Amino acid sequence: MVSKTEEAQLNRLESQVDNGGGGAWEYLCLVRKLKVRRSEKVLKYGMSILNDLSKRSSLGPEEWTLYEQVALAAMDCQCLDVAKDLIKLLRKAFPESKRVGKLEAMLLEAKGSWAEAEKAYSSLLEDSPLDQVVHKRRVAMAKAQGDTSGAIEWLNKYLEIFMADNDAWRELAEIYVSLQMYKQAAFCYEELILAQPTVPLYHLAYADILYTLGGLENIQTAKKYYASVIDLTGGKNIRALFGISLCTSAIAQLAKGRNKEDKETSELQSLVATALEKDYKQRAPDKLSLLTIALKNLKVSS
Amino acid sequence: MGGELRYEITQNAYIKLVLHALKHKTSAVNGILVSRVSPKNDVVEIIDSVPLFHSQLGLLPQLEISLILIEEHFVTKGLNIVGYFHANERFDDHELGSLAKNVGDHIYRYLPQAAVLLLDNKKLGALSKTKDRSPVVQVAFMFLIFASRIWKLVGSDGNQLTIKEPSANVVLLDHISTEKWQDVVDFDDHLDDISKDWLNPELFK
Repeated sequence: MVSKTEEAQLNRLESQVDNGGGGAWEYLCLVRKLKVRRSEKVLKYGMSILNDLSKRSSLGPEEWTLYEQVALAAMDCQCLDVAKDLIKLLRKAFPESKRVGKLEAMLLEAKGSWAEAEKAYSSLLEDSPLDQVVHKRRVAMAKAQGDTSGAIEWLNKYLEIFMADNDAWRELAEIYVSLQMYKQAAFCYEELILAQPTVPLYHLAYADILYTLGGLENIQTAKKYYASVIDLTGGKNIRALFGISLCTSAIAQLAKGRNKEDKETSELQSLVATALEKDYKQRAPDKLSLLTIALKNLKVSS
Repeated sequence: MGGELRYEITQNAYIKLVLHALKHKTSAVNGILVSRVSPKNDVVEIIDSVPLFHSQLGLLPQLEISLILIEEHFVTKGLNIVGYFHANERFDDHELGSLAKNVGDHIYRYLPQAAVLLLDNKKLGALSKTKDRSPVVQVAFMFLIFASRIWKLVGSDGNQLTIKEPSANVVLLDHISTEKWQDVVDFDDHLDDISKDWLNPELFK
């Protein structure tokens, strides 16, 4: 996960390079460090460095890292000829390398030669069974072929070994959500919250899933998690504020007849409404009247 | 019955949805279709569209909030929500998934003329090569068959869905070449930063 400051820094560099201000190499290094997916830019700027003999030789041994980075970007953009050439050069320079072997297998995958890629990955795993990247490529292949149950199976197997890989838990949760398997997705977020209890993103996603599951108990718990997001983000998270409005409205509907939550609920509802209206007034004033009506409707329906 | 109705979509509504899908090539996206309450009963005019999300499409809270706000905004202009647009994550996936069907069902409950549009990636990819004027979306209508309601995809080469402006695909190609998709704002973007306007008022100016 990338923080807001890191993303801002990256975007600044990116527009600097876009506008001809130089800094392509710094940009490429930052993309690599933050592990973000900006394949079109990487391909464009990476190739411009590689095609320039003087720029390329000034990189020294880092040249090969750039080859690898651009090859991966080329595969992501389906520029397979470019990728093939780069990988060939890498293979010539490092004839025994398993790292290049990985790229060759990924090229097969990018071409859609699933069976051959699977063979290549299996043999790579035989030599290094704890290679996380290759394990994940297997999941990616299953996903690309539309085999979501296969992807889930592989990903679960992966998580049995690498249970601290939070990105993998999130990927699994997202697959479950796309299949509307909300209980399973909730389980993934529970693991994430246990592992990193101060990351508001996990609380938010968990609350969203609980609300989607529905039922009085789930929605009451969802409300608590939205509240913790507000706590962790200092009230800056709009989704959590909206989440609370939806929860209080839904709870009031579901708990008709049980009066004990009334005072606390309406207080919370108006606090959230005030916070939302303040934010909209400052940053999206033309949407403010719309917001006010929507919040009123949520209150009325409760 | 959805079979006899014709659907006409304006260039802006159409292009907005396709650009949104192109902005987020690596994920599924969805959107809402807005129509005028038409005095003629045989044509549903899709006047506008609102791009919704590009992540975690299956979550309810963001969908509910967006529908409330969208409905509220358009109802004051005599327009209403008439359908749902969906673009699958994978390039070769031309099936209407259960998620799209569920949202379609939800809208159908309020409006029996509801339609679901599914992006046809093959057609989109072939657009620059053919001079096809038909839209790059497949249309699905609710068909009542054997007393069970199912969404059935209808090919857009019939007269079911037409684009109002015949040069729409040419304009679309032009926008694609200038990477106009970067300017599309969806509801996800709005919820992350409320200063971004999901109505996209400046997009086609």
